[in-house]
Amino acid sequence: MEHADRIRLTVNGKVHDIEIGDRDDQVGPLETLAATLRERLRLTGTKVACDDGACGCCTVHLDGMAILSCMTLTVECDGKDVTTIEGLSDPKTGALDPLQQAFIDHTAFQCGYCTPGIIMSAKALLAENPRPTEEEVKEGLSGNFCRCISHYHVVKAVMSVVPPGGG
Amino acid sequence: MRSLTHLNARSVGEACALLDEYGRRARLNAGGTDLLSVLKRGFLPDRPEAIVNLKTIPGLAYVAADEDSLRIGALTTLVTLAKSEVVNEEFKVLAEAARSVGTPQIRNAATIGGNLCQDVRCWYYRYPHKLGGAMDCLRKGHGGCLAIKGDNRYHCIMNGKGCFAVCPSDTAVALAALDARIKLAAPDGERSIRVADFFGPLRNALDANEMVTEIEIPRTARPSTQTFLKYTTRKPVDFAIASVASVVWKEGERCIDARIALGAVSPGPVRATTAEALLLGRRVDEESAVEAAEEALAGARPLSMNEYKVHVARVLVKRALLEEAD
Ligand SMILES: Cc1cc2nc3c(=O)[nH]c(=O)nc-3n(C[C@H](O)[C@H](O)[C@H](O)COP(=O)(O)OP(=O)(O)OC[C@H]3O[C@@H](n4cnc5c(N)ncnc54)[C@H](O)[C@@H]3O)c2cc1C
Ligand code: SF4
Ligand code: FES
Ligand code: FES
Repeated sequence: MEHADRIRLTVNGKVHDIEIGDRDDQVGPLETLAATLRERLRLTGTKVACDDGACGCCTVHLDGMAILSCMTLTVECDGKDVTTIEGLSDPKTGALDPLQQAFIDHTAFQCGYCTPGIIMSAKALLAENPRPTEEEVKEGLSGNFCRCISHYHVVKAVMSVVPPGGG
Repeated sequence: MRSLTHLNARSVGEACALLDEYGRRARLNAGGTDLLSVLKRGFLPDRPEAIVNLKTIPGLAYVAADEDSLRIGALTTLVTLAKSEVVNEEFKVLAEAARSVGTPQIRNAATIGGNLCQDVRCWYYRYPHKLGGAMDCLRKGHGGCLAIKGDNRYHCIMNGKGCFAVCPSDTAVALAALDARIKLAAPDGERSIRVADFFGPLRNALDANEMVTEIEIPRTARPSTQTFLKYTTRKPVDFAIASVASVVWKEGERCIDARIALGAVSPGPVRATTAEALLLGRRVDEESAVEAAEEALAGARPLSMNEYKVHVARVLVKRALLEEAD
């Protein structure tokens, strides 16, 4: 068996060499990816609400798949490629991703707490299915809760970046 | 949460050896979508000392069809099953059951092995110890069942014994209707067990040093009609109040074979064998479907608050046989 002392994690294109252990400056065996992203790498765009797998606020991409960072152990992410909401804008110009801009243009949030997770879920959906129907968007976002009931605007915002003639 | 070790298993043998060494104080981690919640809530009677990562075992995620059977590796994710061509074509109930689990993010990580081995959702059992102390019950080895006299609206309506928590797994229901077998590995060898025999009221059939490695579904030459229906209070992201998987073979109008499995009504999926027998040689129509549904739930013994589940399950059986969407 293998007991890892360090792992290598790429987050938004940047490689991090992370030490595993019980000291405070090391990642412990039960530390979630959400905690590592927010508290160690200071990428606080990823949110944690339920911390129990049910709300989708902590959604990030792991090797391109939308997953829940609150249900993922950091020590098990060795060699993985993570994208968070901070990784969507253009690294050179800082220009927002068209989907992020669409959320602003459609005021697709109120408090905004659920927004990073929703955008990450929607990005994963669009990567796999660039022309989803409205039904498919709703299904794709069914794992993301919004307590402010911005869902209707969210669906409009996502549909606005789908090229016409979709479905 | 110190003094807990995290280990990456590199083979099935290694994982079983670790289970042997730690007993029930080692916990296997596959997709983690159930285990992490269990660990965070901290309600297990044996505090875990080792987390054994299964995802580092190569070659345990596959869907492989040969002439006689479809074999699914324990680490296969639910999204893979939901999208698999052969699963959708020949084992539609399984694809539908996999699609009904949780949310897209959960299905991307969750594995079929974890889905079958997930812990029960009884709210007394899962109550976090840190909120006002441990809620002990028979399943934790202390005292009796709290659900019997408590709020048992989501508990068993049949086969409960000591513990009345239902099997929360959706894929188990489909696999029972497909007559699947589960392959278990231990340090000293393997065994295979029918899905319906895997589950029991207090725990599943896994010995402390065993793990699930594969699910095997027999292939049948003749095509069947398959339906999976799951009734939930919320549409997405919810466990079943009751579910049913049906697989029916017909010759012309007549049923020549049928398998019906009920979910979320008992500690494991239940095959409604007398209802299946009643359909043989008959047309599957409103009359025979209603009779089969009555028969399927004839053995139900609901608790104080869950008689409604009997009605829900009965309606699901009828609708599944008539292939009506819910
Ligand atoms: C919000 C939410 C909604 C959910 N909805 C549903 C639902 O609708 N239907 C449903 O069925 N489930 C549901 N689940 C439960 C769970 O996500 C799924 O059952 C999932 O399939 C578990 O798989 P996993 O690989 O993540 O399991 P893990 O969490 O990795 O493991 C679960 C348990 O199984 C054991 N285990 C894992 N693999 C093996 C193996 N190969 N051999 C032996 N033991 C093993 C682990 O030790 C652990 O005790 C839900 C969970 C959440 C958080
Ligand atoms: S149903 Fe089972 S888990 Fe729930 S309180 Fe009773 S014994 Fe405990
Ligand atoms: S914070 Fe991860 S799902 Fe709610
Ligand atoms: S905008 Fe507030 S939770 Fe969604």
